Amino acid sequence: MSHYEAPIREPLVLGDKSYHDITEDIAKPIEGKANKNWYIAFYISLAAMLWGFGCIFYTVGTGIGVWGLSKNIGWAWDITNFVWWVGIGHAGTLISAVLLLFRQKWRMAINRSAEAMTIFAVFQAGLFPIIHMGRPWNGYWVLPIPNQFGSLWVNFNSPLLWDVFAISTYLSVSLVFWWTGLLPDFAMIRDRAVKPFQKKIYALLSFGWSGRAKDWQRFEEVSLVLAGLATPLVLSVHTIVSMDFATSINPGWHSTIFPPYFVAGAIFSGFAMVQTLLGVMRKVTNLEDYITRIHVEYMNIVIILTGGIVAIAYATEFFIAWYTGSPYENYTYLSVGAETGPYSWAFWSLLIFNIFTPQLLWIKKIRRSFIWTFVISIAINIGMWFERFDIIAIVLSKGHLPSTWWRFEPTFVDVGIFVGTIGFFFVLFLLYARTFPVIAQAEVKTILKSSGEFYKKRREQGILTKPAINVVSVESESDKSDKE
Amino acid sequence: MASNKKYWKSVEELKDSPIVETLSKNEFVEEIPTDEFLGDKETLENSSTSRRDFLKYVGFTTAAASLAACEGPVRKSIPYVVKPDDVTLGVADWYATSVADGYDFANVLVKTREGRPIQIMPNKEADGTTSARVQASVLSLYDQELRLKEPAKAGKVISWEDADKEIGLKLNELKESNKPVVLLTGTMASPSTDKIISDFIVAYPNVKHVIYDAVSESGAADAMLAMYGKRVLPNYHLDRAKTIVSFGADFLGDFHGGFEKQFIVGRKPETGKMSYHVQFESNMSLTGANSDKRVVVKPSDQVFALLNLYNAITGSNVPSKATAVDADVKKMASELKKAGSKGVVLTGLNDVNAQLISLEINKALNSEIIDVNNTLNVRQGNDKDVAELISGMKSGKIAGLISYNVDPIYTLANSTDFSEGLKKLQLSVALSTENNETVNASNYVLPTPHFLESWGDTQFDEVTYGLMQPTIQPLFNTRQVQDTLLKWSENTTKYYDYLKSFATTSVLTGSSWNTALHNGFFKKEVIEVVESVESTVVISDVASKLAASAKKSSGFELNFYTKPGLGDGKQANNPWLQEFPDPITRASWDNYLTMSISDARELGFSNPVKDNGAIDGDYAKISVNGKEITVPVMIQPGQAKGSIGIALGYGRTFGFKKEMQVGVNAYPLYANGNNIQYGVSIEKVSGTHKFACTQVQKTIAGRHDILKVTSLKDYKTVDPKDHHHGWNKPAYVSYDHNEVEANTIDLWDEHNREIGHHFNLSIDLTSCTGCGACVIACHAENNVPVVGKNEVRVGRDMHWLRIDRYYSSEVETREEAKELGLSRGDMYLALETEAENPEVTFQPMMCQHCNHAPCETVCPVAATSHGRQGQNQMAYNRCVGTRYCANNCPYRVRRFNWFNYANNNEFDFNMNNDYGKMVLNPDVVVRSRGVMEKCSMCIQMTQATILKAKKEGRAVNTDEFETACSSACTTGAMVFGDINNKEDKVASLIEDKRAYGVLDYLQTKPNVIYQVKVKNTNEG
Repeated sequence: MSHYEAPIREPLVLGDKSYHDITEDIAKPIEGKANKNWYIAFYISLAAMLWGFGCIFYTVGTGIGVWGLSKNIGWAWDITNFVWWVGIGHAGTLISAVLLLFRQKWRMAINRSAEAMTIFAVFQAGLFPIIHMGRPWNGYWVLPIPNQFGSLWVNFNSPLLWDVFAISTYLSVSLVFWWTGLLPDFAMIRDRAVKPFQKKIYALLSFGWSGRAKDWQRFEEVSLVLAGLATPLVLSVHTIVSMDFATSINPGWHSTIFPPYFVAGAIFSGFAMVQTLLGVMRKVTNLEDYITRIHVEYMNIVIILTGGIVAIAYATEFFIAWYTGSPYENYTYLSVGAETGPYSWAFWSLLIFNIFTPQLLWIKKIRRSFIWTFVISIAINIGMWFERFDIIAIVLSKGHLPSTWWRFEPTFVDVGIFVGTIGFFFVLFLLYARTFPVIAQAEVKTILKSSGEFYKKRREQGILTKPAINVVSVESESDKSDKE
Repeated sequence: MASNKKYWKSVEELKDSPIVETLSKNEFVEEIPTDEFLGDKETLENSSTSRRDFLKYVGFTTAAASLAACEGPVRKSIPYVVKPDDVTLGVADWYATSVADGYDFANVLVKTREGRPIQIMPNKEADGTTSARVQASVLSLYDQELRLKEPAKAGKVISWEDADKEIGLKLNELKESNKPVVLLTGTMASPSTDKIISDFIVAYPNVKHVIYDAVSESGAADAMLAMYGKRVLPNYHLDRAKTIVSFGADFLGDFHGGFEKQFIVGRKPETGKMSYHVQFESNMSLTGANSDKRVVVKPSDQVFALLNLYNAITGSNVPSKATAVDADVKKMASELKKAGSKGVVLTGLNDVNAQLISLEINKALNSEIIDVNNTLNVRQGNDKDVAELISGMKSGKIAGLISYNVDPIYTLANSTDFSEGLKKLQLSVALSTENNETVNASNYVLPTPHFLESWGDTQFDEVTYGLMQPTIQPLFNTRQVQDTLLKWSENTTKYYDYLKSFATTSVLTGSSWNTALHNGFFKKEVIEVVESVESTVVISDVASKLAASAKKSSGFELNFYTKPGLGDGKQANNPWLQEFPDPITRASWDNYLTMSISDARELGFSNPVKDNGAIDGDYAKISVNGKEITVPVMIQPGQAKGSIGIALGYGRTFGFKKEMQVGVNAYPLYANGNNIQYGVSIEKVSGTHKFACTQVQKTIAGRHDILKVTSLKDYKTVDPKDHHHGWNKPAYVSYDHNEVEANTIDLWDEHNREIGHHFNLSIDLTSCTGCGACVIACHAENNVPVVGKNEVRVGRDMHWLRIDRYYSSEVETREEAKELGLSRGDMYLALETEAENPEVTFQPMMCQHCNHAPCETVCPVAATSHGRQGQNQMAYNRCVGTRYCANNCPYRVRRFNWFNYANNNEFDFNMNNDYGKMVLNPDVVVRSRGVMEKCSMCIQMTQATILKAKKEGRAVNTDEFETACSSACTTGAMVFGDINNKEDKVASLIEDKRAYGVLDYLQTKPNVIYQVKVKNTNEG
């Protein structure tokens, strides 16, 4: 049963592919030489990254004063970028864990890259809480490690401390999950490698994967267990990040809907980033047959859903700010005060990029268009950045006491560090695209005969009537358990 | 008994073997093969020291050398070998002394630590008060750049003996040829010095003493001379006043040295009575901001309003003119008549005629508020004498000038006349504490000590005789002016002995020198009562002269004023005072042209708020009497249309570092010491000025529960918690679907307060005038860093204590806005926009030490936590600098160290030089970069009080606890204490019906309690 798929469903693998073709396609970027475009992109990213590192060193060496912050606005781009990157890091786990539990086969073409994106994004996110500290060299004090400072211990009431736990847990689980999935694929590269050095490296990376049935069985079990572990993390991480704001007392931050709203926003932005990245990658690495229109459409549907949740949250925030009747709520980031105030441009950027633009995805033509999807995904990325900027900067700019109202303007260091993290992210991603199997080929092979275009057509034409039982050698354990 | 024992080291030696001799001649038994080693290339190449070994040695020596060089810089601290009797390490000594620098006068207590004065506090027994400037003057003592260090002649160091000899010769020469010499000083208010000067004049009859105040109040003194035969300033007992009418007299500022203490004594709502104070003025002054009613009127109309008031009160008919404020004048005339002897009129116009009119009005009222017997000596300057001096110098009539602590080249309008005259003199001697342009232009420069290094006496009013004593060994090679004059008068007495005998013989009746010196003052019991001399003043002449002085011209009317921060500019190089925000405009590091909103609109001036939160301004070129200066414009609500204002004391540059050279010198326009200049033309010129304001939003934006104000009538008659009209309504929240008072429900457990102390600070908004003495006191006590203009501009001032200033708006509440039918956006705009002539309220704001502090829960490393005594404490060492606490503080009182502010050349203020660092309080750590800091409720002071009581084996006395701000507060608006001691004043204050906590709806439960501001709107 498992490998039967209704003919009405669109194929997930295009073209007349054999297992070997898949292997070849996936291994090509690793085994071949990089083209000129890759080098251009890499060097630009590298330059941005180095510039960002320079700005970070400058900050750490001189003081946080080189940023645009002030006595009244203690956070701005630092935490905006942090939340933005964490949010982007959400799609990966959702795709690989939640969709695995829901048996969504379409995840197989994208989960590897989505998860890579997650990990790289969390790297960027993790930078900010460290460098935003006035004394980052003492950053380890936020860890509850036994120490010789006396009876000093961390403050478990602080959401920032919860962040430390949430982010580090998320990063480690994501990393393990990602690596587990990579094992058979690394082994495949290892087996194909002709140069001894590469063979050695991939042998190390694949942890001695032998391809025995026991390997596969354990692989499946671990995947399932990790998926189960990772699923709550999808919810917990951004819930906790949102509590940085929700547990505070600033009007506009102190809001009970923040946890679900932030989680939805994070998935929204994460999927947008996946769209952005894969839209480019499928072209550059010639993986158009694996990342298809239907993949894009599925992801767009998730974007519509989560974008809708976000839109309702915005509306709620706006309504509640008005409904409280409290003069302290006049200037929250979603209010008439914000709309008419000095940050109206940021207010409108948020609404236009995040609410109005994604509505275009209701149109099927747009939803299935690679170009449109790419454009909208960029818009959402920008919009989600503005969401966090608005929450932080607008709220802090209009505190409780009017005497403390102030404004924020970034310095070149603020901008430099943000650009630097984008550079760093792409450096990692580009290196990944050249050295890692970017598609979980072992998994894709399991669905080739059920969801591959060629086999589907064959079945439709009646040439192949029976389910593809001859793929038993790569049939997955979980599928077997399904049958039982 | 010689010994003939033979000592030997070896048998060979004993036996006198020749080998011993050979060996003793040859130190190295075997020849050292240097030649062999270095001379022969081949051997060298084959030697056993390989390249590897060589590199090893090089590496080792380099590493060893560099390790040795890596030793940290040594900072020597030299302990006392013999402990001085009066110094106990770690324990502060307090000395009673006096401040008299020519502009600021106060009886003070000086705190010294290990021989260094570090703080100045009012001597409350002597009724002393300290302004921000007096508080800050302790830092001017340590002014490394400006203090004069050695006597000099023509720029070259000279010994005191040589200087005395040369000057003495010259003086005698001038005496013999009877050429006039002028001794030019500021106001000293020192009886013994006056005597020394008169002795000096006896010795040198050709010497004339001229007193010059940079900011003149000559008119008032001249008026007193004309009316009462005594050239002094009248005193005003505002504490007893019922009705006070002031025409531009900034008596909470620098008018006659300030009367804020007396004024506030007369404004205690709990007594049921408050004086009714109406201020007619053009600039928005501190006094106007604190008035019950402020009538905006430009200077020329002030003159006529004063005359109209005179007519209305005396029934006479001196020539005057109708003004737009005549209705108010008429009303005030009847109020004053009603108040009778409890009414008083003051005027700030530095014009003898205006002052005479006001004296006449007070006479007509039979006012007992004005005191012409116990008069003030704090402004003795005589404009006429100064004018004579300059013309004499210009004409070459005057041959010599001895100046003491004045800088006419900076402060005179016609300073070029002065400096050119100075060049013609045969003898120019500058005795001065600080370097300035006049000092620089004088031939002989004799450094004098700062008043904290000096002996002296003071007589500010007729009752209190103050003594001045050194609190530190002189830092530089200085000599007091009195010693110098004594020496030149051939009097060999030291000034200390002179002073002691002067005081004991002619002042201290019934007291001893030691007691008086210990107390710092001596109250005289009997004062002379002035017989009302038959005044020759003809009021109609005076009135017509006065009317004529208010020239009707097309231009603007410029009204000079002094800021609480800089005053006349004597302490312009004091970074605390430069960083001190102006109470009204909240701008630091600047003076500017204040201009009314409508004039600014017409002339196209604006103050846009930039994206970084800072305020910019346009430049105006203003010219009057052929002189012009270019100043930035600050739009000032409440400025009279057609008038402009500018603060004196800024724009000093001589000897200043670049970062201290701020503001514009307005003295060139301050002709004849006249604080009003008519016919000023304004031209907008290009350029953008960068202001450094600490507050940008000017109004309370409808959030009236932050700042509660009521009228005296409502205070007396309306229930404070009344649902509709209550003036101190608590916040209500919904709990179980019932409306309950916010402070009755609690999410958190209460701290246990049963044992120990629980500190509270009460701030009475009725008594707070916004003067800012507390701000500087906090600066000094807590080593608050100075960050400079650029950092203040972008919102990074470090003040732990700030005084928020709010203007009223035309639309004050949302309800009013709704009635006007404004849309939501327009409503916000209306609430945010200040009125053209607003009411002003001040609110000191510092860490509220919340019992449920929002900052405490969010710190990940628990660097900020709650103290047993109610403080919210900050452990700097533990802070990692996430700034989350600052974001979660609804009062925004936390200050972050964005950079290292100490020992950093980028912040070259007092914490970057060895002299400036002497002012640091050793009880408080200097914070490093990256950590958060804030008000600690002066925990070092409260702990010291507790320890002192413990050592003395007693409980802490009632009202013994103090913080820097509460002890500096002149008006007693800030009261600090322990609420667990029910006797403490603060314990009853927090129960007062006026008490409220700011933002109490947030349940922060602050330990700082505010008292609702009560204004006497004269309704009942």
